[in-house]
Amino acid sequence: MLYLFATFVVLLLMVTGTRGLTLLFGLGINVISVIALLVLIADGFNILVTTGIIAIVILVVAIYMNVENGNTANTAFQTSLLIMVFILLITIPLEYWASAQGMGPENQDELESFSLAAGISFPQLAIAIIVINSLGVISETSVAITSGLNEIVSNKPTLTPTEIFNDGFSVGNKILNTQTNTLLFNFFSATFPLFFLIHSLGYKFTDILNDKLVVAEILTTLICTIGVILTVPITSFLVYHKANKVKLKKTDN
Amino acid sequence: MKKNIRLLVIVGLIVLLATGLTYFDSFLYHDPVVKVENVAITSKQTSTDEYKNTDTEYTQRVRAKLLNTDKKGQTISFRNTYYNSQLTDTKYRVGQQVILTKSGKGYTAKNVKRDTPLVFTFGLVTFLLYCMKFDRRKLFISVLINVVIYFGYLQIIIGTHNSILLPLTVVTALLISATALLVILGPTYSALMAYSSTVISTTAAILLSVFVLSMTGYSGMHLELDDFELQPYLGVFLSQVLFGVLGVILDETMDISSSLIEMKKEVVDVSAKTLFKSGINIGRELIGPLINILLFIVIAENLNVVLLYLSNGNSVSYTLNMTLSLGIAQLLISAIGIVLTVPVTSFISSKVITRR
Repeated sequence: MLYLFATFVVLLLMVTGTRGLTLLFGLGINVISVIALLVLIADGFNILVTTGIIAIVILVVAIYMNVENGNTANTAFQTSLLIMVFILLITIPLEYWASAQGMGPENQDELESFSLAAGISFPQLAIAIIVINSLGVISETSVAITSGLNEIVSNKPTLTPTEIFNDGFSVGNKILNTQTNTLLFNFFSATFPLFFLIHSLGYKFTDILNDKLVVAEILTTLICTIGVILTVPITSFLVYHKANKVKLKKTDN
Repeated sequence: MKKNIRLLVIVGLIVLLATGLTYFDSFLYHDPVVKVENVAITSKQTSTDEYKNTDTEYTQRVRAKLLNTDKKGQTISFRNTYYNSQLTDTKYRVGQQVILTKSGKGYTAKNVKRDTPLVFTFGLVTFLLYCMKFDRRKLFISVLINVVIYFGYLQIIIGTHNSILLPLTVVTALLISATALLVILGPTYSALMAYSSTVISTTAAILLSVFVLSMTGYSGMHLELDDFELQPYLGVFLSQVLFGVLGVILDETMDISSSLIEMKKEVVDVSAKTLFKSGINIGRELIGPLINILLFIVIAENLNVVLLYLSNGNSVSYTLNMTLSLGIAQLLISAIGIVLTVPVTSFISSKVITRR
């Protein structure tokens, strides 16, 4: 495994040069943040509050270390924060409704030697799982849409809100498609062992439709997609708002 | 504008109708389904285990009305025990629908009925898509085709008892990436360029990684601890890697090749070398965010089991070793793929674009 890591580092430095060091540094901070999150939750800190704080740290690192243009980074960061709040607002009631927390009967074998009275709130952890799952997708989407939109806006002298929103959707279409693919393929990756096992357990269709693990995976994929969809109007709104402010300043002078 | 609103109302109504139908679909179930009317906690026991985890075990008596079977309408009651942490058990609430199994004369709870929130969330995504000016047709077509391909894949691996898993995964990966590219880019040269770059860099990354890993005999990797301990271990692991990284690499190749095509349009006599260099420059910026996407997806997948290990008194390093070694290996192989894609795509695109 160490060799695998070494291979990655060598290739990264060959392709990106010194930029690779910054990338490694950013990844390192993200890994440390995630480990801190795990330890804090295991120590009994409130799961949602801890996840929220760590998620903000991760977004700062993911956006400000990867984007050189300060204006783009600010807009992307604001968008990602708003999306995170939206995702929390959607996930909390949906997870409560679906009770899709923790592990299912399919995990029985793995759980044999464990004390199940873990003292951790797995319903809250289920919400944290979806938020963490979405972090990478959200930060990438918001950066991509903001930089695409900023480029279009800076080349146009006049701006109407409808125009910016239309441009946002034309930039957003491709990104929505590619991010949905990423989410969908990762859903395939996570679920084919599960479906194989489910078949050997002889589940009926209605059992599959209500199975805790299947529903949890589908909800994760769908809620992350909602995050991607909402990125477009929020980014367009913020870009329009900022462009207007700049214009007002210009006319004042 | 008026037409849009009418469409939105129709979509909204369909979503609500579909969600509502699942609320009354208990007649489709073979098992008894009940609606919880009343719960009372009959006993409560707080305990602290050897790892100093304090948890409370509750026993609840649930009174509920049968929604199907020939005893429909009758009120029954059953007992349910759960821990406050609810790892594998569930606290039942008034109003919830629960699927039961009949054991002798009594009933025991089997599962929460989750199809209503599931359909509602599907509906929510669809409704949001209709609220905005996205090109929905493309999205629906590509998702639909890919899900059908995945369904076929599942049928075949089940039919062959998982014996030809890896070759099947490769074929499926080739099909779903082709579908994705054809739908997004159409049958164009750039789709072909992106496809060949994706195939070459993914293959190279996986072969290289398998070579490096087999040199050390997969030491430090607990291949046997994959999801549900499904066999063949290496085949399952590599299949998961392949599906996981495919979307990200497609994203990357499309970005690089379409930027280079744009560049050729602006500067007609651009040389292959210049194109290659700018391809590397564009790709460099993509690597970090794309690795991040997979990092968080992999971590989130394993969060439950990681916390179970930690709360059972295991050290952080032992926990990470047992629960995340596969995830980290998956991430490293994917990261190698993401890095290799940059020169591969830049090279292929620069050659193809200047020749045409």
